[in-house]
Amino acid sequence: MIGEPILVMLVEDNVDHAELVIRTMEEHRIANRVRHFLDGQSALDYLFHRGEYTDHHHNPRPHVILLDLRLPRVDGIDVLKTIKEDDELKAIPVVVLTTSEAEKDVARAYYNHANSYLVKPVGFEEFKKLMDDLGFYWLGWNTHPDIKE
Amino acid sequence: MVPALKKLLTPPAFDDETRTHQAYILHHILLALLAVPVVYSGYFFFWERENLDRALAQSIPSELINILLFVMTRKGYVKAASILQVFFFWLFFTVVAVTGIGVRGPAYILGSGTVIVTAGILLGERGSFFITLLTILAGGWMVYQETNGLRFVNIEPDSGMTIWVISSILFMVMNVVQYLSARTVRQALRRAQASEIQYRSLLENIPTTTYINGLGAEALTTYISPQVKELVSYTRDEFLKDPTLWKKILHPEDRDKVLAENERTSNTGDVFQMEYRLITKDHRVIWVRDEAILVKSKDGTPLYWLGVWTDITARKHAEEQQADLISVMTKRTTQLQTAAEVSRAASSILDLEKLLSTAVELIRSHFNYYYVGIFLVNDAKTAAVLKAATGKMGAAMLSSHHRLEVGDSSMIGWCIAHGQSRIALDVGDDAVRFKNPLLPLTRSEMALPLISRGEVIGSMTIQSEVPSAFSPVDITALQTMADQIANAIENARLFTERANLVSELEGRNAELERFTYTVSHDLKSPLVTIRGFLGYLHQDVKANDMMRFERDLSRIANAADRMQSLLNDLLELSRIGRIVNPPEDISFEKITRETIELIAGAIDETHAMVKVQENLPFIRGDRVRLIEVIQNLISNAIKFMGDQPEPRVEIGTTGFDADGKVILFVRDNGIGIDPQYHERVFGLFNRLNPDIEGTGIGLTLVKRIIEVHDGRVWVESQLGTGATFFFTLPIAELA
Repeated sequence: MIGEPILVMLVEDNVDHAELVIRTMEEHRIANRVRHFLDGQSALDYLFHRGEYTDHHHNPRPHVILLDLRLPRVDGIDVLKTIKEDDELKAIPVVVLTTSEAEKDVARAYYNHANSYLVKPVGFEEFKKLMDDLGFYWLGWNTHPDIKE
Repeated sequence: MVPALKKLLTPPAFDDETRTHQAYILHHILLALLAVPVVYSGYFFFWERENLDRALAQSIPSELINILLFVMTRKGYVKAASILQVFFFWLFFTVVAVTGIGVRGPAYILGSGTVIVTAGILLGERGSFFITLLTILAGGWMVYQETNGLRFVNIEPDSGMTIWVISSILFMVMNVVQYLSARTVRQALRRAQASEIQYRSLLENIPTTTYINGLGAEALTTYISPQVKELVSYTRDEFLKDPTLWKKILHPEDRDKVLAENERTSNTGDVFQMEYRLITKDHRVIWVRDEAILVKSKDGTPLYWLGVWTDITARKHAEEQQADLISVMTKRTTQLQTAAEVSRAASSILDLEKLLSTAVELIRSHFNYYYVGIFLVNDAKTAAVLKAATGKMGAAMLSSHHRLEVGDSSMIGWCIAHGQSRIALDVGDDAVRFKNPLLPLTRSEMALPLISRGEVIGSMTIQSEVPSAFSPVDITALQTMADQIANAIENARLFTERANLVSELEGRNAELERFTYTVSHDLKSPLVTIRGFLGYLHQDVKANDMMRFERDLSRIANAADRMQSLLNDLLELSRIGRIVNPPEDISFEKITRETIELIAGAIDETHAMVKVQENLPFIRGDRVRLIEVIQNLISNAIKFMGDQPEPRVEIGTTGFDADGKVILFVRDNGIGIDPQYHERVFGLFNRLNPDIEGTGIGLTLVKRIIEVHDGRVWVESQLGTGATFFFTLPIAELA
């Protein structure tokens, strides 16, 4: 497990937020690699090796997916549904990372089998702490399933 | 002694009048005959003593027989006594003649004559005839015997004296008989006269008119009782002078059937029995009952018609009144039934349109009116708009949005303006009636106000093909129904209002939820950026990485700007629900062209062709807001043109929707929208394409503004084929 390259998929339409996540992860050396997608459609294309992502070797399946809920083109919940309805992809832990604290969104996420629901905190230290803990938990402590390509 | 004798001399009386009369005659004849033997024997005793034996032999049996008959008469055996009296009387004289001088003596000549007369009065003509025959035969027999010498006849006549005495006695008996016979005739005459007077007074005093008509269909009047003057004002003389007068005064409507029945009964001899009308001399119409029978003689020969006219005008009037009463009751029952049905509809149907169309049809069909319609006053209270109407003409007027101005130019307008019912019983004469070519058969018209809580909210028009169709009672009943309808309209309005309020509240709730969501997501998003990069600014300064510092700083600034514009948009959105400029009638074409000028710069940049349909309708609404709608939709259209080489935007109308609102559209030939996003495009801050600038409020604003105008907005599009945004708006009120 140690030394194995860990791939994080970040689906986030807000480039500033993506920058915050990536920067914090890099600082804490949480992940070796982060792949960022601006909308739900390109994220699904990657996961299903469609369009520009047909090469399996260069586009390996991520170990964990950080998913925003409100996304252009294909919404976050629809991305979540698609993943969890796919026999192979549903094993990948999906952590919802969003600004929304609405109960409706929390419920919809869990009912669609989200593995975790995290609200982006307002504040630099809080954001860093969350990403830190997230990294330790999902990428450190958590044992990942062996996902076949 | 004297009273007993007096009683004996009084003729007996019986219950039977005929018998009493017969007994009276017999009584007097017997009284006279009782005296005859006494006088006869007395004569022989004094003057012809030599013949006394013979006289006594004749007198004693006679007197015994007289006494016997007298007793029989008193006992009531009048008929038998009469027959015996005549028979013995005849036998007496015949025996006297046979034993005396035969046919030559007064016994045969005068005695037999007296018997014949007596038989006539006691036994009638047949008795008299029989006695006459017997007398002739007896006389003939005596002459035959005498001629052939079979019998010796003492041809020496009685002495003159004897003949005179016997004759005198017989003369007196004849005198009695004559007296009795004259008395009988006199009595019969008197009785007949009394009876005629009785019958005539009966005939001419009973409250009916009696007449006698000759035979045949062309019967002439030969008698008519004087009451006829009271009946028809013509005198009996007028009837008798003009024997066909009765035919002339028959009511024209009844004449044919009366004459037909008259002819039929004349032919068959059936009883004539009819009720018909007559026109009196003073031009009144009276009803008579005419009953006539054909009077026939004993052998069945028809003689004349005997008829009776009875005045039954009062009875007929009573019957007519009863019929009127029944018709009034029937009408009232119908009214009540209709009122009940309208009431049931009013309380069970909450859909206003359905309620009104049910009500007008109920009233029209139950009362058999020509047309019923309901107008409701518009919000501005300037016009009455037809909301429900019966029949094809009603449908035609409804589809043409038939409306009438409130005021004196129409009955409906007048009725609403004054809050009072109005009737035109023959609309041709009522100048204020709105001439309606769709209702050509209207002859009377009524307009009833619909009043709810003291306010006139509309009017009901009821039209009939019959002139003067509405009575005051009808108005009361129909006004009751109109009141019920008005209340039901108010109820339905309140219900709709409540439903609208509920749906508006639900909308507000959803909006609030969206707002919370927006605040929790969209507004929080820039805050996360700002706070996050503020932290990094410190690091940048410490690391003296000025390039990253600048970059992070601009991220913070952009996030703040974005937050500001989001806040502005939210403010704008919240204003739409609150600040409403007074609605006005607007030319949609004009404001579209104004808007295009307003954003001409942006349009030119994209080289888009914007085309506006000619003759777009006038609409009603908030001018400033509607300009915003057009602006947003055109901006949206040119924003999503993609790489279309010939960008085109078209603004126009496709007509009207079911609610009578005009359907407008803004069409582009840009990138189009996948049908799965057609709902989401209108959501607050929903952006389908992050590459296109904007907060995602534009279509939300459009939706909000159109909804405030009671309109709908929707999009029709396929990916890559352009998009058409449709929206509906109310038409101008004074179009």
